[in-house]
Amino acid sequence: MKKALSLASALLASVSLTAFAGSADKSIVKSPPASPYQQVSKLVPLPDFLPGMGQLFVDPATLPAGPFLAYDHDKKLVSTIYMVPLKDINPNNSFDNLSAPGGNVDHVDVYYNAGHPGVGEPHAHIVMWHIPANKESRVAK
Amino acid sequence: MSIPRRTVLLAAGVIAPVLIAPSRLLRAGAAIEVAMQGNLNGGYVWFDPIGLHIMPGQTVRWFNHDPGNAHTATAYHPTNYQRPRRIPETAQPWDSDYLMPGETFSFTFEKEGVYDYFCVPHEQAGMVGRIVVGSPKDTAWKNDADLPKAALNAFPSVHDILARGRIHAEMAQ
Repeated sequence: MKKALSLASALLASVSLTAFAGSADKSIVKSPPASPYQQVSKLVPLPDFLPGMGQLFVDPATLPAGPFLAYDHDKKLVSTIYMVPLKDINPNNSFDNLSAPGGNVDHVDVYYNAGHPGVGEPHAHIVMWHIPANKESRVAK
Repeated sequence: MSIPRRTVLLAAGVIAPVLIAPSRLLRAGAAIEVAMQGNLNGGYVWFDPIGLHIMPGQTVRWFNHDPGNAHTATAYHPTNYQRPRRIPETAQPWDSDYLMPGETFSFTFEKEGVYDYFCVPHEQAGMVGRIVVGSPKDTAWKNDADLPKAALNAFPSVHDILARGRIHAEMAQ
């Protein structure tokens, strides 16, 4: 598992750092984001607001990896999330040129998730937070 | 002081139903709860108890206590996602479909035997459960190779379930 998550971290590093420094796409800074993004809870059976993550939107064409856009209760973008199945992190696969539409990234969390509807297998959550760590409570519940 | 026999009988007539009623209710009507659980970041998901011994005619109710995830309780059976059969041959398979937080699903077990079930989005992560009904003779499945390793490793043994009544998931202890 540790090895898989290390690979996920390496994968994250391959995302263009210049994208992190850019400003956010104005069409997505407030919920709901513009098409083709759709509310995840209307695509798969999941709660509308996920504790620790927020309200998620995704372009279905980019599943399962994403990016998923996460919003707080005030409809403000808080993070951009990639969900990468652990089995897809292998020598024959790569995720290149992943977009980072949320603009500036304050910090990044990478952690294991056992699965959920939409990504029904163990995978890594790569969370690029657009808000400081001490403000993550905005999506705690 | 001696207590008049009639008084004793009267008292027994009042007390006995009170003492007997709970076990009768448990047998006949009250569902036994199995919780669907998960930790905050979704790294751990589990059924609790993961192993349960009941009698024919008893009902199990699955309750999704996980605020951040949907779960299912789905019998291992070819009618459910072409999964191998791991319930008695003549038993009715069940599938709760996705339960959102706070939702429940109940199923009554009529036939003696070993019943293995899983959570659809979490089988690969080992979210499975085992219910033993009555005192079955046939307690071994021959299709272990068709299951994910994490699921196979999670099942408590039939022997332990019969000995202890219920087995709690490691994460719940």
